[in-house]
Amino acid sequence: MSEPKRCAIVGGGLAGLTGYATLRHGGLDPAEIDVFGTDPDPAAAWRERAAAISQRRMRSESDGHCAPASFPGLAIREALRRRTPGPLFQTVADRYHPSVETFLEHVAEVRDRSGWSESFRQARIERVQPVVGGFELLGHRAYRHVLLAPGHPGLAVPPELEGDPRVVHAYERHEYAGHVAVIGAGMAAATEWLNALAAGSSVVSVRRREPARRPLNLPRPLFTRRGLAAYHATEPDERVARLREWLAPSYPPGRAWDEPIERALSAGRFRVEPELNGAEQVIAATGFRRGFRHNPLLARLVEDSGLETAGDWIVLAPDSTVPSLTDETRTLALAGVPAQWAFPAADTLAGAKYAARRFARRVERCPTR
Amino acid sequence: MSYTLRGRIESRLAAGLLPLIAAALLAAGLREWWPLVLALLMLAVGVALDATVFHRFLPYQPGWAAVPLGVLELAAVMGLVRLLGVQAPLRPALALFAAAWLVAQLCAHALFPRAHLTYGEDGGELGRAGHVSSAAILALVASAAGVAWVTAPPTTHLEAGVHRGPLVLDRAQRLVGEPGAIVQGGIVITASNVHVRDLEVVGGEHGIEIKDAENVVIEDVVVRGAELDGISARQSEVTIRDCAIRGLRSQKAQGIDISFALDRAPSRVEDCVVEGGYEGIVAHFAHIRLEGNRVMDTRLRGITVTEMSMGVVEENTVDRALGVGIFCSDYSHCEIAENRVVGTRPDLESDNPTRMGVAIFTYYGAMAALRDNVLVDNPSDVVTLMNAEVRHGRPWFGR
Repeated sequence: MSEPKRCAIVGGGLAGLTGYATLRHGGLDPAEIDVFGTDPDPAAAWRERAAAISQRRMRSESDGHCAPASFPGLAIREALRRRTPGPLFQTVADRYHPSVETFLEHVAEVRDRSGWSESFRQARIERVQPVVGGFELLGHRAYRHVLLAPGHPGLAVPPELEGDPRVVHAYERHEYAGHVAVIGAGMAAATEWLNALAAGSSVVSVRRREPARRPLNLPRPLFTRRGLAAYHATEPDERVARLREWLAPSYPPGRAWDEPIERALSAGRFRVEPELNGAEQVIAATGFRRGFRHNPLLARLVEDSGLETAGDWIVLAPDSTVPSLTDETRTLALAGVPAQWAFPAADTLAGAKYAARRFARRVERCPTR
Repeated sequence: MSYTLRGRIESRLAAGLLPLIAAALLAAGLREWWPLVLALLMLAVGVALDATVFHRFLPYQPGWAAVPLGVLELAAVMGLVRLLGVQAPLRPALALFAAAWLVAQLCAHALFPRAHLTYGEDGGELGRAGHVSSAAILALVASAAGVAWVTAPPTTHLEAGVHRGPLVLDRAQRLVGEPGAIVQGGIVITASNVHVRDLEVVGGEHGIEIKDAENVVIEDVVVRGAELDGISARQSEVTIRDCAIRGLRSQKAQGIDISFALDRAPSRVEDCVVEGGYEGIVAHFAHIRLEGNRVMDTRLRGITVTEMSMGVVEENTVDRALGVGIFCSDYSHCEIAENRVVGTRPDLESDNPTRMGVAIFTYYGAMAALRDNVLVDNPSDVVTLMNAEVRHGRPWFGR
């Protein structure tokens, strides 16, 4: 077998791009990295989902981007582009949320500048096999350091509604009927309430619990070592419980969300129900399937290598690596939603950077190139 | 950002390194310690607040919080500057603070995240760079302390008991009296960087005479029974603090006289008590700041600022002065604020109508800004003569 190549990133989405840009920032040449994905546009899947729910603004803030360093953030870039200090004032008050347009422009810029296309290989990786001094990607070669960023394992639709012709997932393109039921209580559901109301529909919000209201997916201290230190110190059972609690639906507070709902409530066009009671159209704003078992690549990796798991998660080290398959000479790390064991907000751009930076650090420090 | 405690302190120290170096260079250039002392106070206050307040009450710190927290730190630093008597000029001190604050913001929001990719996720911890910057600061502080130690004037302790004077201090030094130490016959200071404290001075031509010297500090000193002035400073820059002057022997002796020093840095007299004397505190052709003093039973005037002096006279009390309480004269510029002038007595023997118990008297081209003075039981409150001007409110000159 030939000498393992230095790096591979499995997954051509935003987490993959973030990982790639971070490696390039660390001095790696495009020739030292292969990126495997199904679409050369790293924003393709995200763009489609954002368009489906007519998303205009990101939930993330100025540093919710794919560039390796937090600075300059999107607020500064937008301020320079628009020649106005407005985004800067907004960002110091935590009120800045980049537009989808700004974000996508930034993704395109990072993609172009990083040399992404030089490293991109259009292929779906179905199996990762540990070998001496690295990992073999089935059908391809071996690599010393592999970052798995496979993304979400598919859209989640309640089993009882599968096959129901009225049902459409929020992240699939759709229009709005006159009477719409929206299942779920997270960010996508809240966006769909407003979309449907704006389209003139009456809306039934079907939810089993009231959503949490917070600016970001998780409380802010959990994005830094301040909150993470305690999180990383938890026992597996407790960590599973915490993850389940934190990953419950939430959307941001604010009048922009509340006022249309209040108006619709008083006009009788919005109500909350615990169960689905017949509707012209059912929008499943129920997010994605959860857990490594829904991802064939990860499920097989766990089975082949006997990886430790807890609940829906593969047990990872705090730096997002798989402990039993990582040593001084090779690295197997996870990024994106499967990395929640290391970083609870792993499915956000902050999470992509968290995994990418630690992966890049290991690659840079590895004695064998 | 959600800082860890270590992250806060490492970020604080690393961001403070550049201002500290700048302050050290400034101190070396000016040959004064205040820039370095101020920069160290800023760091010390910041670290103390980080450890006791900010970390505890700010699990997450939004960007805008840097402004109110900066104001809080500024207030604490300036309070300490005042409490410790650091001789830092206000505007340069504020400029140094503002520059350091700005550097800290640039570091926290741009430089550190750029140089250390995991800066945000690590809660402000800088890893090896944090250790290096902390060590650099310690080295700088140790170096400064070493320089201060080497260049510090020697200290002489006077034991309790009477020491025959006059003592002539012609080299930089600290003269510190043990409780009960008395110098009989006065002290003469002819060198800069002399600090005299905790002494009683009895007799002498002048109790303490300072000639052609800078950075002289007289502190916690009692002067009594001098033949002429209690404290006389000529062509000198002096800070006199917490002194007591009494029992002057000559009819024309003055409590404290600071003269002919307009080319020197401002002199200060703070929290002194002067009993009797021809004039209690007087400045001729000098920059002075008189604050928090109590002057009583003087025979010509309580406080005088004259002969083109520039002076701030603030929060003093003048009791029972004969003739005039506070006098600003001869093209001097005075800011006279928040003083209390009580019971000024008419000088009936003088036949001078301007000495008939005037609380505040401005004369002969002087310009005085008056603000919030309390004038009680004086035959005349404010008198202005001979092209002098009085303005109520803002002074003509900045502090």
